[in-house]
Amino acid sequence: MTPYVEILPQILETLQPFTKEGQALAEETELVSELGLDSMQVMQVLLKIEDRFDISIPLNNLPTIRTVKDLGLEIEQLLKN
Amino acid sequence: MTMTPTVTLHSLPLNPGNFPTLSDALDYASLGETGCNFYSGRGKLAHVLSYKDLQIQAKNLAKKLNSLRLDRGARVALVADTNPDFIRFFFACQYAGLTPVPLPISLHLGGHQAYVTQLRRLLESCCPSVAMAPEGLVPYLEEASQGLGLSLIGGPEIFASLPEDESQLCPLAPHELAYIQYTSGSTRWPRGVEVTQAAVMTNLAGIIQNGLQVTAGDRCVSWLPFYHDMGLVGFVLGPIASQLSVDYLSTRDFAMRPRQWLSLMTKSQATISFSPSFGYELCVRRLGEESPEQFDLSHWRIAGVGAETIRAESLLRFSSTLGPSGFRQESFLACYGMAECSLAISFAPLGQGLDVDQVDGDCLSNEKEALPFIASLSSEENGRCSSFVNCGVPLPGYEVEIRDADGFALGIRKSGTIFVRGASIMSGYFNDPATTDEVLSADGWLNTGDIGYWIDDSLVIIGRSKDMIIINGRNIWPQDLEFLAEQQPEVRPGDSSAFSVSGPDGEEMAVMVIQCRDSDPQKREDLVKRLRALVYQELSIPCYIELIPPRSLPRTSSGKLSRSRAKIDFLSRVQWDVLAPMLSAS
Repeated sequence: MTPYVEILPQILETLQPFTKEGQALAEETELVSELGLDSMQVMQVLLKIEDRFDISIPLNNLPTIRTVKDLGLEIEQLLKN
Repeated sequence: MTMTPTVTLHSLPLNPGNFPTLSDALDYASLGETGCNFYSGRGKLAHVLSYKDLQIQAKNLAKKLNSLRLDRGARVALVADTNPDFIRFFFACQYAGLTPVPLPISLHLGGHQAYVTQLRRLLESCCPSVAMAPEGLVPYLEEASQGLGLSLIGGPEIFASLPEDESQLCPLAPHELAYIQYTSGSTRWPRGVEVTQAAVMTNLAGIIQNGLQVTAGDRCVSWLPFYHDMGLVGFVLGPIASQLSVDYLSTRDFAMRPRQWLSLMTKSQATISFSPSFGYELCVRRLGEESPEQFDLSHWRIAGVGAETIRAESLLRFSSTLGPSGFRQESFLACYGMAECSLAISFAPLGQGLDVDQVDGDCLSNEKEALPFIASLSSEENGRCSSFVNCGVPLPGYEVEIRDADGFALGIRKSGTIFVRGASIMSGYFNDPATTDEVLSADGWLNTGDIGYWIDDSLVIIGRSKDMIIINGRNIWPQDLEFLAEQQPEVRPGDSSAFSVSGPDGEEMAVMVIQCRDSDPQKREDLVKRLRALVYQELSIPCYIELIPPRSLPRTSSGKLSRSRAKIDFLSRVQWDVLAPMLSAS
């Protein structure tokens, strides 16, 4: 099982290419409204996350994921099961 | 035991869609060995549903639905995920005499409230008696339907536990509604298209016999959503009405892993698959450095393209990139249609690929005439060249007219609004006679709102419902964006105008221009930020927002705001190099 603290840096690394120049990235960064990811970029991020952690994020859970932290906790949960 | 997909060829003689109703079509298909197959995002076969099993299960479920003693034609709302349950419920309604209403799935990051609100508007519009969602989505449906008085809301299991009613099944008859299809129009003011059995069966027969000329040995692949007319009518009902096997990939899986579409085409040796231009673009974009030889697309007879303005250059990029896989450019089949006509209106001729018409763009904008573009010897005299794809001759039995603003039918190469009349035109928008009257005349002509012109007897589409904004294949209505602006205390009705423009990288982007009285830079910035966040939240798209002085939005001679002129004004003052850094991540 991978704990959240180990997941977080991997998410930040995955998100790095999607940030604007000089944009800070932290736990509380909002994926859509702050990073400005459009629906296709969200799909690319999810693909990278799914492949990296070998998980499948259920579609139903997307609406509750707003921030980097939410995403990390979701991954942690999926890895537990 | 390993699962095997349903066969492509079987001994049942092909009936090309000559059925009075959808249940008759399934009854016939159930005599063969074909069916539908559902694949996971990683390419694994997850479910097989033969038409034989579908018929048995749908009839069984119909008896259970009948135990609820619903009125005939009562609406059954179905959250339309790409899975066997949706198809079972859809056909259970056909056998039970109920009207299925497919509802969209639009789950975005952080979009809980937006989805619940969207579902609620749809439920309020179609007034269903019961509603079904995949188990994981039931909470959204429950939240959205609070206080609406539905008699049962739940996942497939709750319905499966109902007792079977013993009385004889009485399937929907030709004059009754086959389903209600929500158009991909405004999310705030949804319009439910009423389609009768007779209408959809007429259109299916035309598609199968004329548009696609289906033969035994054809096989379909689709990732189009089941709540979309092309996904539902084209790739759920169409294969059943022609007894073809079909392989499904969910829309979300396609969006995440577009190459799975091509892998599935390779694996199943399918011959028919459709997509908006955007789907072909996405494949090329995401294929990157990967070798196209890993795919075998040599069986792909019909690569249909429609649903949004057809962009020839992206399709040609697809065919040249995928050429080494055996994909043939001649497989592209341009078509035109809409939910209000069940699905299809016209198809280009088969096996000929794209026919691109190059016209003088300035003459088209100014004179509304699509004259062939002739390059002159000196390049300074060259006007603007615009390219449009020929969408072919209307299906037999359909009348199409292109009319000018005064309603007169236009001849060849004159651009105007497309009107259609034929047996598969909707009965109207559900519970909305006012909107119906706006688009459907008493003598049966549908105003499509689309703009096009004739080349001889072939239709060329210039633009879809002229103001619609299409981002990554999604239709966004400017009214929805403007509504969000007008909800802000600083913005009054008529102060905003939304449209899309081709951004610096050639991709469509949404723009909203707003008249703002406030001169305080901080307050202005605050408004822009707030609105952008709101647009993301509601519609999941980035939107460039520009504030302009009061009374500077252009109006038509009758005083109405003109989005097309606002767009021209915007393009004339925008400086892409200033804008580009702001858009770089969006």
